Amino acid sequence: MPAVSVTLALIIFTAGTIAGSLGALLGLGGGVFLVPFLNLVMGFPFTVAAAISLTTVIATSSTVSAGRAGKQLINMRLGMLLEVATAAGSFLGGVTAQFVSQSVLQRLFGLVAAIVALIMLSRLRRRNVILDPNADPGLLGGRYHEEESGCTVTYHVKRLPLAVVASFLAGNVSSLLGIGGGIIKVPVLNAWCGIPLRAAAATSAFMIGVTATAGAIIYYGRGQLVPALAGAACLGVQLGSWGGMKFGAAASSKWLKILMAGVLFIVSAMMFMRGGR
Amino acid sequence: MTPKQPPAGTSFKMERVVGIVLRSGVIASTACLAAGLVLALVVGDGAVAAFLLNTGILVLLATPVARVIVSTMEYVNERDWRFAALTGIVLLELIASAVAALVFNRKL
Repeated sequence: MPAVSVTLALIIFTAGTIAGSLGALLGLGGGVFLVPFLNLVMGFPFTVAAAISLTTVIATSSTVSAGRAGKQLINMRLGMLLEVATAAGSFLGGVTAQFVSQSVLQRLFGLVAAIVALIMLSRLRRRNVILDPNADPGLLGGRYHEEESGCTVTYHVKRLPLAVVASFLAGNVSSLLGIGGGIIKVPVLNAWCGIPLRAAAATSAFMIGVTATAGAIIYYGRGQLVPALAGAACLGVQLGSWGGMKFGAAASSKWLKILMAGVLFIVSAMMFMRGGR
Repeated sequence: MTPKQPPAGTSFKMERVVGIVLRSGVIASTACLAAGLVLALVVGDGAVAAFLLNTGILVLLATPVARVIVSTMEYVNERDWRFAALTGIVLLELIASAVAALVFNRKL
């Protein structure tokens, strides 16, 4: 492990800031950018990169969700229900990461990310919302005020078992690869479960704190979590996600989807390259 | 401004309590990590810096756990047994992770 110098801390802080702002904008958590940077560019062992990234995922989740609590954009009931699946997946992922070669899983992830990106792009115009403010959202549905249209948006949750399976897989991939897992959950919740992108992203960002914690605790116990590096990354990510949140409220849903699909393709290609070695 | 209608079943109190826990955790861990980094890199104080950095990481890891505990208590308080049970299961899963961490650390 490299000694922690001022330069190294500043590089990691800056990388965290960029990853954090992109993560907050996309509801991904930022790890998608940070893990490849730490692993491929900085040359850290994959488990060390994943552990640092998981702590920044927790920081992003707490910061973003603290700012959003009280605005009803986070579907807390749905989030807490799906956390049962993400935490179980994350626990298993954190344990498997200590034993298993990751190349097969990475190639699988590359495939899944590419498929999900294609689905996102094919469903750009779907709104998944009911604009009658008196409609009953049901036990798990939600209702929030959308700033750019000035409308109160109501939605039902469809295909709950699918959301549970996606959450389990997301938790698993989250711990194994050190990312938030929103990359799997958000498109599934949006494309198949009837949840508007903004609410799906907010609910996912809320859940990934618990998801990442279930994995990060294991890395911490194993001694793979370097506090000084994780600290520098977390401070950067917090600064970045604060900026991303300010900008995120003004970004349109359609552009968020296009941007997110692009990110998914890049991540997919990187996973294939890494897993193919 | 009149309060907006909450989503079915999610109380304003739950949102507020969760917000307070997350914000407190973020502020406490950020303060510890920032102070620890400054001490380690600028002043070069090893022991105190390491303690602050470790505390910051532990507070960071404890924040979502605290959020789950508080949510479970709030659901029990609201007599919403279904969701109290669900958040209780999440808490057990986090405890399982901590046990696995101790096993890997050979303290168990």
